[in-house]
Amino acid sequence: MTTRRLPGQEHFLLDYLRHLSRHRNGRGAVHIHLSGLLPANRREQHIRIAATAFESLVRALQGQVFVLSNTDLMFIFKDSCLGDVEGAVVRLRFLFSDDPLLADSGRERPGAFATWYRLDQDYDTLLALAKALGEDERDRRMAEQASQTIEHKSSAPSGEPLTPLLLARMEEVLGQADLANLLRRQTVCSIVDKASPQPTFSEVFVSIGDLRDTVLPHGDLTSDRWLFQHLTETLDRRVLSMLNKHDDRTLTGHISINLNVSTLLSPDFLVFDDNVRAGMRDTIVLELQTIDIFADPGAYLFARDFAHERGYRICIDGLTHLTLPFIDRDRLDADLVKIYWHPEMGDQDQVASLVEAVDRCGPSRIILARCESRQAVEFGQSLGITLFQGRFIEAMLSDETRRRGSLRNR
Amino acid sequence: MNSKAILPEPEVVTQESLLLAAAERVGRIRRGRTAIHLHLSKLRPYNREEAHLRVAGRMLDPLVQIYRGQVFFLSNADIVLLCKDARPAELDAMVLRLRGLFGKDPLTYGDAGNGRDQFCDWYELATEYDAFLALARRLDDGVRRRNRGRQAAALPPIRPRQLHDALEKVANFDVAAVVRRQSAIRLTEREGAEIAYQEVFVAIAELQRALAPRLNLLGNRWLFQHLSQTLDQRLLAMVMESPLQRMPPMLSVNLNIATTYSPEFRQFVEAMAGRGVAVMVEVQIVDVFADLGSYCYARDTLQAMGHKVLLDGVTPLTLQFADIRRYGADLVKLFWSPDFLDRDADLDLGQATARIGMERVVLGRCDSEAAIRWGLGAGIQCFQGRYVDAMQAAMAMARCPQSKHCTLAQCMARHGVIAGPLRTACHDHQALDALPRLRAPTRPGAGGPA
Repeated sequence: MTTRRLPGQEHFLLDYLRHLSRHRNGRGAVHIHLSGLLPANRREQHIRIAATAFESLVRALQGQVFVLSNTDLMFIFKDSCLGDVEGAVVRLRFLFSDDPLLADSGRERPGAFATWYRLDQDYDTLLALAKALGEDERDRRMAEQASQTIEHKSSAPSGEPLTPLLLARMEEVLGQADLANLLRRQTVCSIVDKASPQPTFSEVFVSIGDLRDTVLPHGDLTSDRWLFQHLTETLDRRVLSMLNKHDDRTLTGHISINLNVSTLLSPDFLVFDDNVRAGMRDTIVLELQTIDIFADPGAYLFARDFAHERGYRICIDGLTHLTLPFIDRDRLDADLVKIYWHPEMGDQDQVASLVEAVDRCGPSRIILARCESRQAVEFGQSLGITLFQGRFIEAMLSDETRRRGSLRNR
Repeated sequence: MNSKAILPEPEVVTQESLLLAAAERVGRIRRGRTAIHLHLSKLRPYNREEAHLRVAGRMLDPLVQIYRGQVFFLSNADIVLLCKDARPAELDAMVLRLRGLFGKDPLTYGDAGNGRDQFCDWYELATEYDAFLALARRLDDGVRRRNRGRQAAALPPIRPRQLHDALEKVANFDVAAVVRRQSAIRLTEREGAEIAYQEVFVAIAELQRALAPRLNLLGNRWLFQHLSQTLDQRLLAMVMESPLQRMPPMLSVNLNIATTYSPEFRQFVEAMAGRGVAVMVEVQIVDVFADLGSYCYARDTLQAMGHKVLLDGVTPLTLQFADIRRYGADLVKLFWSPDFLDRDADLDLGQATARIGMERVVLGRCDSEAAIRWGLGAGIQCFQGRYVDAMQAAMAMARCPQSKHCTLAQCMARHGVIAGPLRTACHDHQALDALPRLRAPTRPGAGGPA
């Protein structure tokens, strides 16, 4: 899935470990599972950046880093620099903290991102692992060669990056395509204690994954941050015009939509505004991204005041437990902020700054999104958060509907 | 709602001609009619973009519907509302809401010293019809005269397909022609100032003229960011080969954060280290927010290697919205604007800059003495901009034996480039690349004869 791969260093790792067979004392190893990240997060440049985390230690002759062909890293080091190694791993975690796949691994598996070894105790385990990795690498290489000989073209990488030209073609397609079948809704619920979730409003958005499958099946829409941002602007406008076209109950309120600041000030939004039933504006939430706000703070200020004047509510979208402390909801005068759940949220070294940031923001102003498990909800509740969104919440809601249905049928 | 339809040919219907027609029409039925002239043209430029005006117009809609009002969007960005039998309280409330929308703009709270409201004028047509008609005539005349010599409309923003074309052209384009340098000075003790660093960057206006003269490259923020990634690589390669006689102690490059992870950047850093030059990377705050983790990691790596990080393009609003200290940059570049001279802005800014720490602040875009004076008053020690360029060029000319051949403007322009014909035209490259100590601009009220 990754577009290009650095050459694997499995056989160097195996050689090195064999060499250390009689120098096991006072050495450790850490295995960084970058292969578990989303493909978009483990391109060649990411792996190279990650490897540089250990560069200064390698230069100081404190350790040796190996980049494996599945994009994992293995760093073998002297115990005397353990603190520095831990620091490097923390930086790496931060670097990839946005990766949703890390969120799936769950808190009960602390080794999901990094596994630590002590050579004096775990030498044999590590050696076996290195052998297995080497064999995997060989198999993979042979399979690749085989497929290349069978059919040259099929080896074209499936995650074709988005380019300006592809973006131009996509925009042409999007201009005509009916995106109605790509429109998704996800409910934001308030959940207090063990009570069942109470829907507050639902977010209307275009599913990027389904969009890709429809218009650019072999592409990777998120490969370039800026082109993707431009694409979302186009999509936001399309969603608006769809909402404008539909008769409809959709605009009776209790929804949230993603908007760019420039879209909020566009004629499309004014048409949307015309279609909203009077008195319902305060149930409509406009979600804006921080990147967009800081791209032009003056435009944000103006758009925000206009939206408030009309009665809409503003939500700052796309924050994480790491970025929340960097913004000031009060000064931005936003009504809500949305942070994405991450299993590392509860980690001891981070929880203190998160608690402080949540308190400063006001727990009742926060939506905890991407909740994939009960654990996410419980952790959010422990911080005082009451608004939740995500697949787990959708599952809770449908359970609830089923239960009510069966009660009625009794 | 057609604020776009205000770029007419002569003798074509304009908003001004419609206003005049309406004013003449109501001449016989003045009773109960009110006109409000909103002077949005006097707002600061960033507050009167098309979108702002569109939204302001939207706020008038309720009155238009209820009181059969008419709205005129004038070509200078002013708006005139004409309505019948409107309740004064409602008109007042509307004006108040609009004022609130532009509440940060001095126009809404300042007065011209004569006690008159600068934001809007009211005309009760029953008694003030003649003044209103005169206004309509004046506006119509003005726009007719302006339209005669009118240039083409503003350039359209770049689109993805054009970005593709531009990228192909960049590949074969000699960027040296559009690379510029600018020095920043830092005050030292005893009334002196020295070159703190030299920034090298791609001059976008020049690049645009060369690559896409009919497009606005900066018109689409995200597409421009994409283009800038390619420019970064070309800039680094060009600077490595630069023919400068003497390199500054620190070279500052404006880069995407992602670029600092590239092998090319590492080569650049090594090349600079070989010439004894420290490196500073200037990052945009929007890039920081695009991927905060990536920024923090890059910052830590750069700082660990002994380089510096500067947060670029900070404005008073950025300071208001975010706690800049948290970003851990070595320097923060605040863009000067004449607004700083407004008393309210001055107060807030003084506090905000003090929080960052004066030694970390660079006042950028200093294009006038007023900018430097404000900065000195605030306690800022580092300055960059056209005015500093002029100081530097004047100093160079005072020392340069060849200076009788040149003007100050020529000397400034030659300081600004690092290659090409402009540089070749200079008779003394040694003097051009020298890094002299300057006399510090004096602090206001620091004594000495006036």
